[in-house]
Amino acid sequence: MIKLKGMPNSIVRCVVPEDMPSSELPSAFGGILEKGASLLQGARLVLDFGGRSLSGDVIFRLLSDFVWPSGVSVAAWITYDAASQDVLKRAGFHISEPSIGSSPASTLALQRSLRSGQRVEYRGDVVISGHVNDGAEVLASGSITVLGRLSGLVHAGYEGDESAVVVARCMEATQVRIGGRIGSVEKDETSCRGKNVIVSVRDGAVLIEIGSL
Amino acid sequence: MAPRVIVVTSGKGGVGKTTTTANIATALAVMGNKVVAIDGDVGLRNLDVVMGLENRIVYTLIDALEGNCRLNQTLIRDKRTENLYMIPTAQSKTKDAVSSDQMVKVCDDLKHEFDYILIDSPAGIEAGFKNASAGAEEALVVTTPDVSAVRDADRIIGLLESMGKSPIRLIVNRIRPHMVKRGDMLGVSDVLDILAIDLIGMVPDDESVFTSSSKGEPLTLSSDTQAAAAFRNIASRLTGNDVPFINLDEPQGGGFFGFLKKTFGHGR
Repeated sequence: MIKLKGMPNSIVRCVVPEDMPSSELPSAFGGILEKGASLLQGARLVLDFGGRSLSGDVIFRLLSDFVWPSGVSVAAWITYDAASQDVLKRAGFHISEPSIGSSPASTLALQRSLRSGQRVEYRGDVVISGHVNDGAEVLASGSITVLGRLSGLVHAGYEGDESAVVVARCMEATQVRIGGRIGSVEKDETSCRGKNVIVSVRDGAVLIEIGSL
Repeated sequence: MAPRVIVVTSGKGGVGKTTTTANIATALAVMGNKVVAIDGDVGLRNLDVVMGLENRIVYTLIDALEGNCRLNQTLIRDKRTENLYMIPTAQSKTKDAVSSDQMVKVCDDLKHEFDYILIDSPAGIEAGFKNASAGAEEALVVTTPDVSAVRDADRIIGLLESMGKSPIRLIVNRIRPHMVKRGDMLGVSDVLDILAIDLIGMVPDDESVFTSSSKGEPLTLSSDTQAAAAFRNIASRLTGNDVPFINLDEPQGGGFFGFLKKTFGHGR
């Protein structure tokens, strides 16, 4: 069942369960049109699909069956599937979380793991409670904290902020990016592997320090 | 029992999807279930060869979809195993010859006749995989214990989750215990740690698998090798039986039972 959550600035978050079969999407959105019409009046929607893959056909169907008839405006289409993000981006849709309140940058707390092929891009800080697997990507304009295992690619301060840091509870990644800098860990370098680390830019170089978590 | 439609997939090619499909289908049929294995790899069919039924093909799935025959005319009965059938696909067509809606319809039609419908998916994450998976409710993800296969399996699991398939269970194929011991190969617990889904079986690397595939005689027909036992156990677990895992002599923290303890209870 799709959940509607009210947020500040007249934003309504529409959370689509990741395990809902795509074939059930039209009827689920149809149900919102019937029952949640009053809630949607004048609202800006964040359509949150989690890790779901969205094809061009599915996007078009959602537009024609739900978005256009309901009269809502969609502030953002959120999916962690990198290929779907590219489809949405090419079509000119917003795929980043909208700003809430006066502060443009806030923190995205993601209570899940990211699998290979999934990507999170966020203007602000990102905290991930699960793992970032090999082949997954996290881009944040601020800092990134990974409470699980970091094996994928993270890019903190991707808009150029070199004061951003990366904190990982279990470091398995071979590359970390901060601002315009790229730090690589040699394959045979084992001193930080599996350890909790803090990665920052110091004197123009990416520095990995063993943390004390 | 409600009929079950299960896709066997992996992401990476060459990890043993077709062999796994053939062996599990055969084992399920030997156990008394009525089973059909569908070759979902349009244009690169192999299931017929691995099951030893290539000389019996008259019509393919594509013929049925194009209206050249009825669906039940594509069914090839395996004479060696009662209740085991296969539907071959076309070698001369491309993945575009089947749509997701057509696969859903095929599976729905077969549910009236079979207890288990196993679909051998093509490698990759494109239309071929999506079409092959469309009609399935459950998935078996096959991987070998190497980093590239595991990474691809992770990608496929993410896609299967987003398609609403459940349960999604893991088979770790071609394990070489001596290499795991030496630290030259990922152990099963390492793979599970990354993929975080339930394990349904681990199959040792065994020469008998290669020879049985070449001969077109699934191991679960009659072989008594460790690999055959592993496939039979997977089939048995699929039916809901609680079967202990074979000790592949893999060094794990806390011994074998410690490993099993670690193996279960993996959520997302």
